[in-house]
Amino acid sequence: MKIIYSEIKKWLPDLTDDAKSLRDNLTQIGHFVSGFEEIDNETILDLEIRQNRADCLGYYGVARDLAVFNKIDLNIPEIKDIKFSDSPIPITINSPDVYRIQATKISNLKNSLSPNWLVKFLKLHDINSINTLVDLTNYVMLQWGIPCHAFDFKKASQLIWENNQNYSEFISLDNTKIKLAPSNLLITDSKKVLSLSFIGGQNSGIEIDTTDSILEMAIYNRSRVRTDSRSLKTITEASIRLDKELDTETIPLAFSHLLSLLITHCQAVISGQLLDIYPKAPKNINIEFDPSSPALYAGINISSDFAIDVLKRLGCSVIKNQESNFLISPPSIRKDISISEDLIEEVIRFNGYYQIPTDTPISSESLPDITPPILYLIEKLKDQLIKLGYDEIRSWPLVKTSLNNQAIYTQNSINSDYPVLRQSMIQSLKSQLDQYQRFKLPQPQFFEIGKIFSQKDGQYIEKNSLGIYNYNSEKLQQDLESLNLPFTKGESEGIDNFAEIILDDLSKPDKYIPDNSTSKAIELTSQIITLDANLTLEEKSEPVELIKKYSDLIDPNILWSMQITDIYQDVKLNKYRYTFQVSYYNCDDKTAKKIHLSTFGLDTIK
Amino acid sequence: MDLNQILIDCKNKIDSATTSAELESIRIELLGRTGLINKLFSEIKTAPNPREYGQELNQLKNNLEELIKNKSISAVSVNENVTNKKLASPAVALAKVGHLHPITQTERQLNEVFRNLGFSLYDGPEIETDEFCFQRLNVPSDHPAREMQDTIYINEPNILLRTQGSSIESRLLSQEKPPFKAAFPGRVYRNEKVNKSNHFIFHHYQGVVVDKDITLKNLFGTINCLFKSLYGPDVKIRFRNKYYPEVEPGVGPDMECFSCHGAGCGICKGAGWIEMGGAGIIHPHVLKMAGIDPKIWHGFAFGLGLDRWVMAKYNIKDIRTLLGGNLAYKPNEL
Repeated sequence: MKIIYSEIKKWLPDLTDDAKSLRDNLTQIGHFVSGFEEIDNETILDLEIRQNRADCLGYYGVARDLAVFNKIDLNIPEIKDIKFSDSPIPITINSPDVYRIQATKISNLKNSLSPNWLVKFLKLHDINSINTLVDLTNYVMLQWGIPCHAFDFKKASQLIWENNQNYSEFISLDNTKIKLAPSNLLITDSKKVLSLSFIGGQNSGIEIDTTDSILEMAIYNRSRVRTDSRSLKTITEASIRLDKELDTETIPLAFSHLLSLLITHCQAVISGQLLDIYPKAPKNINIEFDPSSPALYAGINISSDFAIDVLKRLGCSVIKNQESNFLISPPSIRKDISISEDLIEEVIRFNGYYQIPTDTPISSESLPDITPPILYLIEKLKDQLIKLGYDEIRSWPLVKTSLNNQAIYTQNSINSDYPVLRQSMIQSLKSQLDQYQRFKLPQPQFFEIGKIFSQKDGQYIEKNSLGIYNYNSEKLQQDLESLNLPFTKGESEGIDNFAEIILDDLSKPDKYIPDNSTSKAIELTSQIITLDANLTLEEKSEPVELIKKYSDLIDPNILWSMQITDIYQDVKLNKYRYTFQVSYYNCDDKTAKKIHLSTFGLDTIK
Repeated sequence: MDLNQILIDCKNKIDSATTSAELESIRIELLGRTGLINKLFSEIKTAPNPREYGQELNQLKNNLEELIKNKSISAVSVNENVTNKKLASPAVALAKVGHLHPITQTERQLNEVFRNLGFSLYDGPEIETDEFCFQRLNVPSDHPAREMQDTIYINEPNILLRTQGSSIESRLLSQEKPPFKAAFPGRVYRNEKVNKSNHFIFHHYQGVVVDKDITLKNLFGTINCLFKSLYGPDVKIRFRNKYYPEVEPGVGPDMECFSCHGAGCGICKGAGWIEMGGAGIIHPHVLKMAGIDPKIWHGFAFGLGLDRWVMAKYNIKDIRTLLGGNLAYKPNEL
């Protein structure tokens, strides 16, 4: 929800915050400002409105919160005293999903292109200007948070709200064909679809020369709007609001404001009665509230007087109930308040979270250890495996193919190439090996501990499993024996380089404190280049010292590994030949070769 | 079958090898996956005395391995360089060093902080029910908070891949008796298209405390302690009001942007602060649904997303790298 700083000031004339302070205060009270920019000499604040605060999807709700926070008055826009006629409005409601609707008819409309202030206002909210009538309905939606809609009376002489039974298609104002589903909430004229609950249609759209219009502002069953919007893959400014719990009690103010603006800017004449169909009036909520409870929740001193004052300023009805308790009735616009904890949160947020000290963590006193023993086994095994020289990997638990008919499939994953939950860790290890081979990683040896999945007799089974790969199958065999664990050999072609152990079937330690040493991981972006070099020396040298000497000559940002693979003594000449194998990364072939030859002095050999 | 004769034949064959390549070819012929020895092992069931035959076969295999190993050294040294004497075989190198995955490393750092505060660790299933992933966390089926999480279903609408680590919290609350303190790292799934900056698998780190007299002050202090342990004593944290259905009041901890130190930059989208997760006092409905009396017990819960932290810490630009991707480690300390 974007708000313009100068516009919020119209709702709060006594606001003294500059735009930056306003940003910080809005964030503090729960409306995180994720964007802050200057456009057309206006400061725009982009607010992330919490899912339970649909009231703040309009200036009105945001301004109410700021009025409480700053202890200032709210300035409601000027609304004319509207005189309605007695002419009935041709509206029929045949759907239980309509919670409240106000509607009337306007005539003698002088519609035109919108004035500059209106065009600018909408543009700053990313809405294109159409004409004054349409633009004012959008303006009112942004101000009050409740969508409203205008129908051209010449095109739509009667309006019926109904759940779809007969219609297959709807064409929106922007000429998009939308295929309808049963039960979609529609507005029809009994012959064709005029509009959906959250988007207008071509069959009733307002033109620049429209003179008569039926206006309506309605709130629906939000679940119905949400289902329709998602199933029809159509999201609009209206659906974003109507699929949340809006306040039916705000409609009279907002609708009157729209009519006032139309009288002022389009010289509209109200030619119909005020239709107000209100089958779902909100129930009054009474909450028992102890004003000392916010202090107990926050862990700091918050006076009862402050708590009661905040609730009154929020528009709650406050009645003293017993000695220390009050009966609180929140305003209907605050759909998020239904229990005493909600009231506690209101008091604490307006008191300021910054008032709560941060130097008192929970007591370090140990409570009974409820750690499942499998977690100790996993930590222990990981430590043992890295000591044996294995790298830990983490892979996708979803794989391309199943191993047998006990596999579990996902129903709706967007990543449909990977529909199966892995049944063996070896499936994941093989994918990782493919990846490492693509990068020509020398001598890979790695492991993963994670879940494997299967189903049997309608039960979903997941087990912790260890998968290991070593390029050297003999080393793998030795390592598995040193771990002293029963294992299953991999079924890969060729050599037995994979092994898997189901950990949930093993005995587990009662306690284990892991080794917390950390190390650096590298994101591979190009192939690793491995080159050999033969170095002949006059004297026998310590291999580790040689590796240290020559590795120091190479930039660590490109040196992956260095080892000596062979040492020979030339008996005749009494010289020693060392074969180095050096792997480079982060560089191309040519650079690697150049550095390699230079490091070992091979570039000078003719 | 006369295994002794087979041993003699094989020995002659091994002796006849004149190059290391020839020797390797013989090794595969005898000891490879589809080689002679494995073929003999496959016939074990039809032998008159399988157990004895198996023992003899093992002995034959060991003998052949030894013969090839001995021949290997002489084949190389004698035939490939007559004037050279091999001093070390097969390799002299620095010992291979193993590494924990960066996510595990980060989880362990966090585990250590919480273990020092007396926390246990906990875990729960990745295939979850709607009840434990949503309903017991105060998110009924038509709740708008469901929009925050696109769910991958196994069997819609009841069986799914957990979308949040909080499902472990609902398992924990229903399985353990208070008081308790537990932290739980875990993998979660959302129905997102995978690209450089989005993944359908994330890692959450969450925790919960249920005890008497728990306050927001305890929660703020605990999270502050965590951030200072990870980022040093000078790190600046702020707490703001935030909405999560399973807590009330809800809290969002932010860390001052490490890049611009509050001035506003591209990394923090001009805000000067970076969102680090969510927390709050456990909603009384959540405790009630787990059979815990909210008039006696209070608790706090917190959750952090690990992936972004890890990417920043290890300078990883592509989120796909973290899972089965291009992540690797230098094999030894040079």
